[in-house]
Amino acid sequence: MNGLGKVRFEDVVKMHGSFAALKGVDFEIEPGEFFALLGPSGSGKSTTLRILAGLDMPTRGRVVLDDQDVTAQDARERDVAMVFQSYALYPHMTVAQNIAFPLEMEKKSKAEIEPLVREAARKVRIDHLLDRRPGQLSGGQRQRVAIGRAIVREPAAFLFDEPLSNLDAALRVGMRLEISELHQRLKTTMVYVTHDQVEAMTMADKIVVLRAGKVEQVGSPLDLYTAPQNTFVAGFIGSPKMNLVTGAEAQRYGVETIGIRPEHVTLSTTEGAWTGTVKVAEHLGSDTFLHVESPIHHEPLTVRAGGEFPVHHGDTVYLTPQEDKLHRFDGQGLAIR
Amino acid sequence: MKTKHLRAIGLLIVTGIFILAWVFPIFWSVLNSLKNEQDVLAYPPKLFFEPTLAAYRSVLFGPQSILPNLWSSFVISAGTTVLTMAIAIPAAYALARLRVPGSRWAGFYVLATQMLPPVGIIIPYFLILRNIGWMDTYQGIILIYLSFSLPFAIWLMVSYFEDIPFEMEEAAAVDGASRLTTLRRIILPQVQGGIAVTIVFVFLNAWNEFLFAVVLSGNTVRPVTIAMFNFVSVEQTLWTQLAAVSVIAMLPVVILGILAQKHIVKGLTVGAVKGGGRR
Repeated sequence: MNGLGKVRFEDVVKMHGSFAALKGVDFEIEPGEFFALLGPSGSGKSTTLRILAGLDMPTRGRVVLDDQDVTAQDARERDVAMVFQSYALYPHMTVAQNIAFPLEMEKKSKAEIEPLVREAARKVRIDHLLDRRPGQLSGGQRQRVAIGRAIVREPAAFLFDEPLSNLDAALRVGMRLEISELHQRLKTTMVYVTHDQVEAMTMADKIVVLRAGKVEQVGSPLDLYTAPQNTFVAGFIGSPKMNLVTGAEAQRYGVETIGIRPEHVTLSTTEGAWTGTVKVAEHLGSDTFLHVESPIHHEPLTVRAGGEFPVHHGDTVYLTPQEDKLHRFDGQGLAIR
Repeated sequence: MKTKHLRAIGLLIVTGIFILAWVFPIFWSVLNSLKNEQDVLAYPPKLFFEPTLAAYRSVLFGPQSILPNLWSSFVISAGTTVLTMAIAIPAAYALARLRVPGSRWAGFYVLATQMLPPVGIIIPYFLILRNIGWMDTYQGIILIYLSFSLPFAIWLMVSYFEDIPFEMEEAAAVDGASRLTTLRRIILPQVQGGIAVTIVFVFLNAWNEFLFAVVLSGNTVRPVTIAMFNFVSVEQTLWTQLAAVSVIAMLPVVILGILAQKHIVKGLTVGAVKGGGRR
């Protein structure tokens, strides 16, 4: 770790005409942190990353990189490297030339560049492909080249814009692990945009959840899981989603909305707080997820049962929420603690 | 299976007819250029005769040599091409990438210039050139050719630039490349094909042009398209020499076509699919 890569966003606003893509975003990234920008499409996560890269200028607010105000700086002047969603490899150059390009722009000599390119290629395991062109590579290999091009110049921070979204499911899990490993080894700040909460939860040290251009919550994956600040974060983090129940049942707890995760409901075939009918049982082997229709809520509740819980469609079950795991939210959807 | 064969054969026949129709004039010119004056006028036309290079010798090294005219044509075409590309490449890049006010209308303007009937503007051009004293000069004729080739070249190049994803430039920017370096190292290598196609079109248009050349030049600046008429006069037409000049004048076109063939075929299909490519 070089101690660099400290990032601060101060009240950053980005207007596209009259549309506000970011409505005052604040957060801080510590040096060496793996930081995920998480949110649904249109939440402003990519805009945030682009502003950090210097590809877009904020309408208002400040971007501070290593205690230096870089708000007005162009992408060329900032010490960050980026991996694009489409990889944006230069098709007319070989893999080696692609990786060497940022170094050439730093006016490094050929003799300096050669070993650095080889080293970067080795780190992402494409050192046998250096003479190929991007067109001759598979999706996963292109991804590696894009990462190689980013790590070769040892920037203060790496920016990833949904880098895994163009890969198939199996490859995605593999690359996820590799990027995590890479972070362990390099210990450089990584800022990672994703709409996939599993990616964010598994990889990140810290996550900022964005919605409609606003920060909903910043925290470690476990913070977001155990103490969501509002119903949006509660519903967005965790798979399957937290059950959010409104109406009479919530009133009984004296709040507008209660939330209970599928894994925090005790199941019984004989007795419990809520009754329900099994609509669908999803058997995953290790777990069984039941979708239960209950009179307490208009939407089915999701409940995790053990791997071999013997219920079927149409069976009556009883559900009891674990009181200490219950989340309470007020009329604005904010958590009550 | 059988109908497939029939279709293939039908297509082959139709293609063959088209090719014959196009090839025939060229074939006939080559044939005539190799005949002597008697064989050319023989009726019925002779397919078999004793070939001679007399006509070529005469038009290249005789008193009416067309070598100076070939040079004129080359200067005009090359000048037009170089200037056109020097302006069209940055202009097209700007139109494709920057938010230039009125860029939406640029496409329409370009097409409009291509639709103007040349006879409609030849008199104004004549007056302009006469007033600035550029009649019958290289710079005059090149200026006039630029007015056609430039819009066309820009229009063609814009569609090639637009094909390159914007992220490519952003990646280069993050990698630390300046705008100019990006254009030179990242963008231009990817539009090589487009540049080749545009050069061929611009060069050929200038090389083949006759109407403006005949009105706006003709004495000091005398491109080969006009010089051909040396061999047509009131008393007689020197068919063998005319044919020889045509063949010689065709050569650069053919050579350029062969050199850029790969790119041209691709370029034509790009145009076909994209239909011009203005946003």
